[in-house]
Amino acid sequence: MNQKFENLQQSFRRWWPFYVMLAPGLLFYLVYHYLPIWEARLAFQDVRIIPPNIWVGTKHFVALASSPVFLQVLMNTIVISAMKLVFIFPVPILVALLLNEVRSANYRKFVQSVIYLPHYLSWVVIAGITVATLSPSDGAVNEVIGLMGFDPIPFMTDTGSIRWVLVFSEMWRSAGWDSLIYFAAIVGISQELYEAAEMDGAGRWQKIWFVTIPGIAPTIATLFILNVGLFLSQGFDQVINLSNDVVRSHIDIVDTYVYRIGLQTGEFALATAAGLFKGVIGMILIISAHTISKRLTGKGVW
Amino acid sequence: MFYKASKTLSAALLAGTFLSGAAIAEPVTIRMVLKDFISTNPNSVAHVERIEAALAEQGHEIDIEIVDLPASGYADALGIMLLSGDLPDLIYFQGGDRKIADQNVLEDWRPWIAETEHLKGALYPHNEARLDNYPYLMHVFPLRAQQPVIRTDWLEATGLSAPATVDEYTALLTAIRDNDLDGDGENNTFGTTAGGSLKELNGYLNPAFGITATWLEDGSGSWIHSQISAQERDKLAYYSQLYAEGLLDPEYITINWEAKEDRFYTGRVGVVSASRPSNVVVYQTKMNTVHPNTTLTLLDPPAGPGGQGLLAVDVSKEGRGWAMSALSENKEAVATLLDFMASPEGQFMEQFGLEGIHHVINGDQVEVLPDLGSWESPFMISASWTPPVELFPAPARQYLQNTQDHFLPDNAFAFPSELAAAVDATTNIYNEWAFKFVSGTASFDQWGEYVEAWKAAGGDSLIDHASQVLQ
Repeated sequence: MNQKFENLQQSFRRWWPFYVMLAPGLLFYLVYHYLPIWEARLAFQDVRIIPPNIWVGTKHFVALASSPVFLQVLMNTIVISAMKLVFIFPVPILVALLLNEVRSANYRKFVQSVIYLPHYLSWVVIAGITVATLSPSDGAVNEVIGLMGFDPIPFMTDTGSIRWVLVFSEMWRSAGWDSLIYFAAIVGISQELYEAAEMDGAGRWQKIWFVTIPGIAPTIATLFILNVGLFLSQGFDQVINLSNDVVRSHIDIVDTYVYRIGLQTGEFALATAAGLFKGVIGMILIISAHTISKRLTGKGVW
Repeated sequence: MFYKASKTLSAALLAGTFLSGAAIAEPVTIRMVLKDFISTNPNSVAHVERIEAALAEQGHEIDIEIVDLPASGYADALGIMLLSGDLPDLIYFQGGDRKIADQNVLEDWRPWIAETEHLKGALYPHNEARLDNYPYLMHVFPLRAQQPVIRTDWLEATGLSAPATVDEYTALLTAIRDNDLDGDGENNTFGTTAGGSLKELNGYLNPAFGITATWLEDGSGSWIHSQISAQERDKLAYYSQLYAEGLLDPEYITINWEAKEDRFYTGRVGVVSASRPSNVVVYQTKMNTVHPNTTLTLLDPPAGPGGQGLLAVDVSKEGRGWAMSALSENKEAVATLLDFMASPEGQFMEQFGLEGIHHVINGDQVEVLPDLGSWESPFMISASWTPPVELFPAPARQYLQNTQDHFLPDNAFAFPSELAAAVDATTNIYNEWAFKFVSGTASFDQWGEYVEAWKAAGGDSLIDHASQVLQ
């Protein structure tokens, strides 16, 4: 025990500037992510302004589950999350691989800057752009569809299209920015591996397939597992801004539902119950994905 | 002798009262929280300072402390603040108040109002009805209602008079569509639009189709929700006709308020609705930046087969407004403050803004400055005070008059929280099907299917509850 403590002391003396740099981040997580866990007990209470709160057990969870549309809302969340995971997750990897193949540094920087930009736009702005672009009367997309001889498609009011609108608008916003991590991982791959592959006669595709992708596999695995953990937290801002009366029942997710039923009416305990429900599911998914990944690839989050 | 002695005694008592009053005149601090009213806004601070000064002149040493909350997500932030136990003396709610009132921490306004000199006369009829049903929230402002406006030059260009009936209203929309009033060489102007839902059209067309309340009695004497009534079906059929003939903007469902305004100023639609008198002023001002010297005409709600009027007014409670903390130790001071705001001096401050910024006074004359358009009265606009000069242009005054002329109390009531999910679900079902009917993606032969879906989503529970309440 003493030996461990001395090692820790030695480590701190040696690396103290890094510990100091780490401190604000740790403090942030402590205050905003760990202390609130204790307050999650609100999910089991009726909140009273004049204490004490009243313990009501699982009342709020039962209320949530017995709602006539909660099952529909949960299904919407799962379907939209699955679509995003399947169709969006690979895109930043492809973008990073493509960027790595661009030989002109200036051109690569230009492309990077352009594709990072949407990340900085709020969903209010993106929703405005999306609605205008997809407008059946004068939207650019429907103009192109019209030039090809087809009738315009009311994407924003078509229940069959709206989930794809969510997927592609999210992809447009985040693919560039998310490629940053993969690109950094690619840059970290030893050049010697590429030289060795070249000496073995590998072409571009083979270098990508046998050197680059295996080199970033741990990063891919880690981010996939973390994405799985956020499975039930799918874009409140996005859905709120892109929703309308016609398609609400098809894209109403747990977050937006709880916002209407819980927060807007002051039912904070109900909102906390929903948050806790999502958190527990997320935790189960992360542990499951981590365990499976460990068994299959030997790599996980920890 | 007796008279002289009693007079001396009375004078001594009065002097003693004032002296003791002066001796205990410790400044009282009222904490108040209001959206967009923050201590870093110089206009808010200046308004508070002059109110404090005016109250001090009347012998009331009241300090007003502004509690800062972000304007964005105000209702959520307020709810969290209150549930954490921090209750300011005077609280402005924008929803979420019922949950707080249920905990008996909000004061019943009625006995306080009854004791005031000016405030009791400042209430509108809808305020009194709402306070009777829910006495914790007070919002002394003119009624909000959706009312249609059109450019006066366009109305004249159609050669039609202001429509008095639904048929004439349809004829006006048709004339807007067919006469290229924006002069771009194409008949591409829609008659009307709305900002994201049918609520704006419902605001002045519901009574025309007999929808005079949220709950209607069917032929058998049972209560049904207006959303599944025959009157609603007739109204949606009319909207469907407007949609099919290009009189109703087909994108009304996806555009927001700003996009709606833009279409109005740029000539893509002819008629839009205003939800309060200041909207009419804003429309007028913005229209003039694009088309100088253009005036607007407010259209009366058209008469239809079911009657004429504006949407029935929910009097079950105020949707927003001021509440007083029942835990406050300064309730008298709060009542004094609000009574002052309802007085002629307070109303001048409330409605004319700050001197030098929103108005100037030349001798006995008040001159309103253009920036008054950006001034929002924070506390109230009294029903009984008449401004020394007209604050609103004619169409905005007509708007106010119409809200009084067509005031129709609704029979809506608040559902218990156990039915909140059912209300949400049925509203979503209605909204979705309403667009389907209007846009023609659902036939009116499917009306029964819609009603069944509405009932299955919790509508049956709502009807059962309503039957008990309305009995």
